[in-house]
Amino acid sequence: MPKIGVYVCHCGLNIAGVVDVEKATEYAKGLPDVVVAKHYTYMCSGPGQRMIQKDIRGNKLDRIVIATCSPRMHEETFRKAIAEAGLNPYLVEIVNLREHVSWPHAHEPQQATEKAKALIRMGVARVRLLESLEKHRVSVERSVLVVGGGIAGIQASLDLANAGFKVCLVEKAPSIGGRMAQLDKTFPTLDCSACILTPKMVDVGKHPNITLVTNGEVLDVKGFVGNYEVSVAKRPRFVDETRCVGCELCTQVCPVKVPDGFNEGMSQTRAISIYSSHAVPKVAIVDPRCCLRLKTKRKEVCGKCAQVCEAKAIDFEQQPETLQLKVGGIIIAVGSEVFDASQMPETGYRRFPNVISSIEFERISDTAGPTGGKILSPKSGQPPKSIVFVQCVGSRDRRFHEYCCRIGCMVSLKQAILAREKMGQGVSIYVCYNDVRSFGKGYEEFYRRARDLDINFVAGIPSDVRGSPDGSLYFDVFERGTNKLLEMHAGLVVLANGLVPNSDLSRINELFHASRSADGFLLEAHPKLRPLESSTAGIFLAGACQGPKDIPDTVAQASGAAAKAIDLLLSGEIELEPLKAIVDNDLCSGCRVCESLCPFVAIEMKRDGEALRAEVIEVMCQGCGLCSAACPTGAVRIQQYESKQVLAQVRTACVGAMAGGG
Amino acid sequence: MSIIDLMSMAKPNLASRERILAKLRGRDLVNCFQCIKCTSGCTALKLLELKPHEIEKLVNLGFVDELSSSDIIWTCVTCLKCVQRCPQKASPYHVIIALRNLAVEREAKVPEEFMKAVSRVLETGLAETFQDVVSRKMETFNRKSLKLPMVYAPKESFQTVFLKALEER
Amino acid sequence: MKAAMFWGCRILTSQYAYEISAREVLARLGVEIVDLSEAICCGDPVRSVNDFAATFLGTRVLALANATGLYDLIVPCNRCHFVISEAKRLVESDADTKQQVIGLLKEEGLEYNARIKIWHVIDLLHDSVGLGTIKKAVAKPLKGLRLASHVGCQILRYSDLGRVDDAENPKKLDDLIATLGAESIDYNEKLDCCGSHLTYSHVDSALSLAGSKLKAVQALGVDGLVVSCPDCGMMFDTKQKDAAGTVGARLGLPVVYYTQLLGLALDVDQQKLGLHLNQSPVEQLLSKV
Repeated sequence: MPKIGVYVCHCGLNIAGVVDVEKATEYAKGLPDVVVAKHYTYMCSGPGQRMIQKDIRGNKLDRIVIATCSPRMHEETFRKAIAEAGLNPYLVEIVNLREHVSWPHAHEPQQATEKAKALIRMGVARVRLLESLEKHRVSVERSVLVVGGGIAGIQASLDLANAGFKVCLVEKAPSIGGRMAQLDKTFPTLDCSACILTPKMVDVGKHPNITLVTNGEVLDVKGFVGNYEVSVAKRPRFVDETRCVGCELCTQVCPVKVPDGFNEGMSQTRAISIYSSHAVPKVAIVDPRCCLRLKTKRKEVCGKCAQVCEAKAIDFEQQPETLQLKVGGIIIAVGSEVFDASQMPETGYRRFPNVISSIEFERISDTAGPTGGKILSPKSGQPPKSIVFVQCVGSRDRRFHEYCCRIGCMVSLKQAILAREKMGQGVSIYVCYNDVRSFGKGYEEFYRRARDLDINFVAGIPSDVRGSPDGSLYFDVFERGTNKLLEMHAGLVVLANGLVPNSDLSRINELFHASRSADGFLLEAHPKLRPLESSTAGIFLAGACQGPKDIPDTVAQASGAAAKAIDLLLSGEIELEPLKAIVDNDLCSGCRVCESLCPFVAIEMKRDGEALRAEVIEVMCQGCGLCSAACPTGAVRIQQYESKQVLAQVRTACVGAMAGGG
Repeated sequence: MSIIDLMSMAKPNLASRERILAKLRGRDLVNCFQCIKCTSGCTALKLLELKPHEIEKLVNLGFVDELSSSDIIWTCVTCLKCVQRCPQKASPYHVIIALRNLAVEREAKVPEEFMKAVSRVLETGLAETFQDVVSRKMETFNRKSLKLPMVYAPKESFQTVFLKALEER
Repeated sequence: MKAAMFWGCRILTSQYAYEISAREVLARLGVEIVDLSEAICCGDPVRSVNDFAATFLGTRVLALANATGLYDLIVPCNRCHFVISEAKRLVESDADTKQQVIGLLKEEGLEYNARIKIWHVIDLLHDSVGLGTIKKAVAKPLKGLRLASHVGCQILRYSDLGRVDDAENPKKLDDLIATLGAESIDYNEKLDCCGSHLTYSHVDSALSLAGSKLKAVQALGVDGLVVSCPDCGMMFDTKQKDAAGTVGARLGLPVVYYTQLLGLALDVDQQKLGLHLNQSPVEQLLSKV
């Protein structure tokens, strides 16, 4: 005969404000096998937990029902509490009186109380049939895969490597550094971006605990938390990384000109080149789509680069490689992309050469960029006499992306200040804005710095931008502060393009089972309390792939994600929840329906003499219940969600309803 | 809402605001965040000083009555640029149409051409009357002399039904 | 293809050149048109007076189209096309409006049919007849002609409603012009409005808007402006002289309907395209053909 204790929580007024907790407790006392029934303001609190523990010891209770808020909140808390009192933690049933009763039925307290009673009755019926279960431990790999070599991936890799973990950092481009490497200066300090980034990049390249794979991508991910098996494809550079010294002689002799991606196509490089001036690794790469020899596949064509290379590093026969890795955790840090303003032709982008994007301005401003750091209008190659920044391009716009890109205001402030500092007072600088969001540390002061430098803020966004034959631009904008319609002329218009989800994300979504939120970025496990974890255990998120953000937030998130991974893997072991499927061999007919349905590939068929029997791979099973529902003989059951347990709840729910007259 | 416009001492008319909101055909009003794109591109701004963003805000705050009896609501060219470019799917055009309907209902200032057009539709089916045109060579033509097909006015039943439609608020 | 045809008010009562040229060229391209049984207003000016009555009128046009038994309705006027499209959208999305409108239609023995597809002349020619068919039919390519296109506002905007072409980068009318062998240039004022709606209340401002656009287009040095809406035709062609006055400019820009231009390329007699009725100096354009 089980001895059941029922505890009804007030949850402050959250439950007690609607449900008559005293009546519910009285009712519980009258249920069969219920030995103790109490109610209390906050069951999850110290005193609440101690009350339950005292009763377990004193009354020798062996089953507990706690009628409180959602199990997603405190089931773990209560399990720990009863385990401390010596009872198996899986002998507790949480009945949800908040999300299922007091919140949805806030205006019907009487009926809410009846429902609470029914749910408690159902909880008691089920808890009677629950069985003790044990968590199993699995050993884990103390290594982490970091996907994406921007500042987020770099920071996370260094934190992990310094903590003694092995890291494999995979980056799609030929060099790490990501978007930050393309920036000239960073706000609000106006630090030179390369100067603060490259030391970290070099550290990554040298660190004994970091295996750097550039020009690569993740092909496949199998396994489960703590034990992932990943295959990474490394595309050929056609240059031997161990031999190339980065002298760039090859680039000088290559006859094929190609647009320079690092400079956003505003300058040209060669078919063989080093990705950027501070590339890590500093190794040349051949673009097989443009290289004459590789395109034509004829050995007698060109080959000038190989002729001048003193290190004999060029290898036209280089093959793609696939690496197989075993890692315990994964950090996704693939970053974001810049909104393509050609989706908004009214901005003039791609219609008029002097309308440029914010990232194009960064390259122009960078001394290592296409104009040597001089601010010049693309069409004339001359310094513009006026520059206008237009905010919120593609952001805060329900036609494109509803969210605020978070960095647009600060980027334009920075670029306006840089333009002023480079060009002096001879240029008029305006920012056409909706709001100025300078929210971070030092950001509002940065906004004032801009105003102190005679950068004018026009409170209004233009409807469209038009171009004159000489390449200059003109447009009307109505200014909110003065109530005047202004006609503005600009030699250069810089758009504050928003940040958008990486176009790779649907592949990332599939590869890592990492869900996406409504805005298209990767979804965190909880927006407030668990911002670094994805929806899949063991896979963490860092940086702009989770949502647009600036460098300080990215670095913070990256270190946080690294800490989370360390937390998970440090002990070398993790515990698995036992709420999984289990097969009764005597009942299994080997029909294989469960195997075909399992979305997690967690069921294997094993030979048992002449017959096949289903076997659950415990570590892969997520306890979703599909197999159990489909099994024709009832051989597969989900622990804690067995048919007899659920049916007991159903039966008592119906009986109660009939007895109560419906 | 407890606000007063100290220039005119007007108070918001929430009932009228609700009626306008109901007529917006799924376009938004409450989400206008005054980015001014509509006014910056408004075809009627330079010549007639129409500021769609102002109309959005006035209606959202409930200051409908003054607008419904104003001249400004009749300056909209209906080019629809504001509807196209608004980042919040607000639509000054639809708000202005609703204000115009309200003006007619309240027998406020309505340009007579609109009422005349409605009368013509009622009587003949068409909003315009048949005209003679003069060619560049100074010859006069009409439908008949141009040998264009006959057109037929609607049956009598149309008048009754159209009048019923006009009674809808 | 056989389709019902709704001309609206402006074409039937004054913009005869559009009707003449459209009837002529559509027939030659294999489009058989069936006029509706009545000449009726789409509801456009009624909109400002009573929006519901306008929705009723727009839906009534669709009901008249239904009565022809055909599933395609061609609407060559931009304003009619917009009003009827919005009416259809409202009736489809709002059950109360649908009920009221259907009730009124029933009183006249008319029936609304949601399956009727609404075309404008531009997308009919571009998407249904097809550029290939038109090119094959061209007998006299308009080589050397440099033109500016004016698609108008109400068939481009607003995109959510599903319009005839892209609102910010419309290309169909330009493609249709290019298929005839002529060049259609891009220009800053391309999407600017002719101002016709203001003729109900602010005539001078309406003319001023038309005049500003005409002035800008004339400055481009093109051989003509091509329109596809009778209201735009009225403003730019019929009222060109009046418009010139309001902007203090000397305007002499040939303005033709696309259907007239198409007719020229098909080598149709100029009289049969109503070209004698255009008020703008089209001789300048015709001499280059």
